[in-house]
Amino acid sequence: MSEQLRSFFGCGLDDDRTFDLNDYGDSIPRWCVGCGDHGVLSAVKRMMRDQRLLPERTVFVSGIGCSSRFPHYLDTYGFHGIHGRALPIATGVKLSRPDLDVFVVTGDGDCCSIGAGHWLHATRYNIDMTVLLLDNAIYGLTKNQTSPTTPEGFETNTQPHGTYLPALNPLSTALGVTNASFVAQTADWVPAHLLATLKAAYEHVGFSFVRILQRCPKFSAPVFSEQARTPDLHELLFHSDGITVPSLDKIYKHRLEHDPSDLDRARSLAEDTERTRLGIFFKDATRPCYNAIRHLPTYTAAQNIERLNRELDRYAV
Amino acid sequence: MTRRLLTGNGAAAWGARLADVDYVPAFPITPQTEIIEQLGAWIDAGELPARMVTLESEHSMLTAAGAAAATGVRVFTATSSQGLLYAMEMLYTVAGWRAPFVLVNVSRALAAPVTLETDHNDVLAARDTGFLQLHCATCQEVLDSVLLAYRLAEHPRVRLPAIVNLDGFTLSFTREPVEIPEPAVVRRFLPGFDPQSVRFRASEPVSQAVAVLGGTPYSYFRYEMHRATEQAIAAFEEVAADFERATGRRHAALETHRMNDAEIAFVMLGSFATKAVDAVDRLRESGVRAGLVRPRLVRPWPAAALRESLAGVRGVAVVDQNLSMGKGGILHAELASTLYGVPDAPVLTSFIGGLGGRNIAPEEFFQMASVTREAAQTGQAPEPRLLFTAQELREVRRLQGIALAERHETTHSGAERSAP
Ligand SMILES: Cc1ncc(C[n+]2csc(CCOP(=O)(O)OP(=O)(O)O)c2C)c(N)n1
Ligand code: SF4
Ligand SMILES: [Mg+2]
Repeated sequence: MSEQLRSFFGCGLDDDRTFDLNDYGDSIPRWCVGCGDHGVLSAVKRMMRDQRLLPERTVFVSGIGCSSRFPHYLDTYGFHGIHGRALPIATGVKLSRPDLDVFVVTGDGDCCSIGAGHWLHATRYNIDMTVLLLDNAIYGLTKNQTSPTTPEGFETNTQPHGTYLPALNPLSTALGVTNASFVAQTADWVPAHLLATLKAAYEHVGFSFVRILQRCPKFSAPVFSEQARTPDLHELLFHSDGITVPSLDKIYKHRLEHDPSDLDRARSLAEDTERTRLGIFFKDATRPCYNAIRHLPTYTAAQNIERLNRELDRYAV
Repeated sequence: MTRRLLTGNGAAAWGARLADVDYVPAFPITPQTEIIEQLGAWIDAGELPARMVTLESEHSMLTAAGAAAATGVRVFTATSSQGLLYAMEMLYTVAGWRAPFVLVNVSRALAAPVTLETDHNDVLAARDTGFLQLHCATCQEVLDSVLLAYRLAEHPRVRLPAIVNLDGFTLSFTREPVEIPEPAVVRRFLPGFDPQSVRFRASEPVSQAVAVLGGTPYSYFRYEMHRATEQAIAAFEEVAADFERATGRRHAALETHRMNDAEIAFVMLGSFATKAVDAVDRLRESGVRAGLVRPRLVRPWPAAALRESLAGVRGVAVVDQNLSMGKGGILHAELASTLYGVPDAPVLTSFIGGLGGRNIAPEEFFQMASVTREAAQTGQAPEPRLLFTAQELREVRRLQGIALAERHETTHSGAERSAP
């Protein structure tokens, strides 16, 4: 939620508490050693600390999957849903409590497979929330089955001679949906970029969709291992209105200026998967948000009495 | 015939393999996933000439299964718990299509709270869908039941899809010696699928799954399904007799243990009933004339066989591994209506046990036996009871205490920090 909205709801601003990372949770996650989810969790905590998010005004909603264990490791409000249903749960929370910051943590199975129908509509509703798609290109929790984002040819327990179909491209999919308002990509192995992307996504008012490439050393290690080791396989999208992380410039040589308001170019950049592009593909804060256009105005008690009297007067004889 | 150590999941996969299935739509879910992975591996190795497709959810999986069966091929699929519930809309629909196929359900308790171990609320939620239901207690039975289920589902007087149910973890991951019948023997017992009217045939287009307007045709079609399910009782007798001739193994609609002169009986479903077998033997040793009745068929419901096997019994302890909120055990309600009005019917006591995989200890069976004997003597059944020990209650209280303390700590430190 932006500062502007916060002041509208009268929350947060008068609160000068500061937090350290442990205030957002200090339990030890049960993900495998080397799992990319660990890095995402610490980046999320850093973002929350930097933005001074109030734990009691923050909600993390997830579905089912390794990645969906996220809410267990945060001392905010949490909602561990059922497989595929994170987005409608988050929709319900945000529409009834617009004063809360809502985050969704979902997996490539949870979001792009069994929950794909909700994904499309949630994008179109453009409700103000931040969605983190932890894409490890596999069903992790159920132990190694082809997901919609598993690369063609990759061997899994359900397709042992290699995955048959070309992988679904979550960026193109999101960018193809009417009323999409924020689409970005980052990777667990570039922490500085991850953090910057999370901040930008959080600040955007609307449905911020962030695909986070996430290593699963247990089942899909080969999918990202070369990439994670080779900065040259990446291309950082930068722009004054996008994400700029100067500290990365020395290591990540390939950089491309991209204006995130350019939807056509965003689509063609997303479609071309030769390079792993990290950054904001598209952003448009003017797109209508369901929660804003449908929100009920708040009235003071005096206003309510006046409205009531006016209504009663209509029946006066 | 070979004998091998197989898990319940392995046995289910072997059942599908021996049934020579054509098509396997699949979606993973614990504790079922092993079944589809095993089939996938066989198909990939060229050992099973079937086609498998992994879909994006159980809803699509069930839809594809029903539709494929409606084209006249033999279909197998498997799921569990949330997956079965997610497919619920299609369970009703494909049963209405009268397209026979076999769905293995590996029972697992339902959310919320999310858990992994077994109970029967998932499969019993499918009780009224039109699917037949066969419940298994051993790995051997899982393999055999898949074969029986195809014969029953495809029976000309039945023509309905069937669920074969096994308990998650207790059966799905437990290895037992299983006899794997020779393919030729299975082929004689279960020839290729004869789709009869349910099929796609060149030059004979028919429209399937039509809509009806008005209660008259609707009632007719729904009642036909009910009649077909009832006819499955006789069809099962026939099929089970053929199976016995082919393999030497007899699977009756009701499995009974020491019921001959039983004074009290347990009635239970699934693998937890094997715990009751042991309890019954021990009760017998101490002079209590106990017995066990385990319905293998839940749909069709073997009402006559139940009345017969419980005739002369004075008290029946129904142990439900499910809970219908505000009512109690589902099996108890089913049995009560079955015995209602039967002269000298036994007194029924009701126990809820084994929810979410919770064990049922021998002492608990002894306790249930004594409560049931007393009820039989007084003719008064006590209120239904949850099997739950004082020790367990203390443990839950302890966990609640920890949660409360943590919440207090968070709120407290938050308040401290926000002090100006
Ligand atoms: C209705 C339903 N079907 C299937 C499952 C089994 N299931 C649990 S997690 C999962 C896939 C998880 O993959 P993903 O969303 O990519 O998360 P990851 O574990 O990879 O982080 C599946 C199929 C389920 N829990 N509920
Ligand atoms: S299985 Fe993969 S995604 Fe799941 S915790 Fe382990 S490394 Fe992470
Ligand atoms: Mg995944």
